[in-house]
Amino acid sequence: MIASVRFAALALTLTLALVLTAVPAPAHHGWSSYDSGNTLNLTGTIKESGYEHPHGYIRLEVPGKTWLVVLAPPSRMENRGLPRAGLTPGKTVTVVGYPNRTDPEEMRAERITVDGKTTELR
Amino acid sequence: MIHNPQAAAWLVWLESSAVAVAMRQWLWLYPAVEIVHIVGIVALVGGAVMFDLRLLGLSRGLPVAALAAHLLPWSRVGLGLVAVSGLLMFTAHATEWAENPAFRVKLLLIVAAGLNAWVFHRWPFRSVGRWDREVPAPPRARAAALVSIALWLSVIACGRLLAYL
Repeated sequence: MIASVRFAALALTLTLALVLTAVPAPAHHGWSSYDSGNTLNLTGTIKESGYEHPHGYIRLEVPGKTWLVVLAPPSRMENRGLPRAGLTPGKTVTVVGYPNRTDPEEMRAERITVDGKTTELR
Repeated sequence: MIHNPQAAAWLVWLESSAVAVAMRQWLWLYPAVEIVHIVGIVALVGGAVMFDLRLLGLSRGLPVAALAAHLLPWSRVGLGLVAVSGLLMFTAHATEWAENPAFRVKLLLIVAAGLNAWVFHRWPFRSVGRWDREVPAPPRARAAALVSIALWLSVIACGRLLAYL
């Protein structure tokens, strides 16, 4: 009993120490990390893209800025008719989405329009 | 995209490996590995918690030693599944997970849960013959059971919070 309690206390102390000293990583996965009260509608050129898990992304160059636009999981985009080739660098696309609350360079797209075709990403 | 190219060299190497690229880019590999991870959690934590509940006094008619022989091998199978699938998922995002506070806490809790199980088997479980059926387990066995439940549930919570912190 004493050993177990002592052990539990030790585990708890170490856990707390770790939580308190860990550098907070930028949150960016859940939709709650993005400000849905501030809708962005951006048209630009794809500089780089990733058809990757857990979320695809593009670097979108618009006048004066390059955004990191977080998209949906590639399996979902494929199912909804946006294949890997749709995100080829150099293409002009339009995204509608919300800026990250803490990272001014990042936004998450609700939908993307490529070659005149709009794909819902949520 | 390497999440953090400035991270430790071994993390960058891991995240650049062919396995990591496949995990990120093959359409159905990542979700398949996630499914294996969840099945592993069910076997590992399910077996452990059912055994812990018996130690805490539920279903006292069931012999503790026989229940351990039935459940704990499945927990070990589950541990193998979560370890392999977890390593694959870590590889895909090594530099990102390594700096994630929920991930660090999760690893620590897993080590703690392992030590707790080891201490339990080395010590209170040795005398199981005296409290196999209808007799309350000794306080230190019940304490280990409580610690085990708390740790494993916390591990699951940290695992889920990885994506949100």
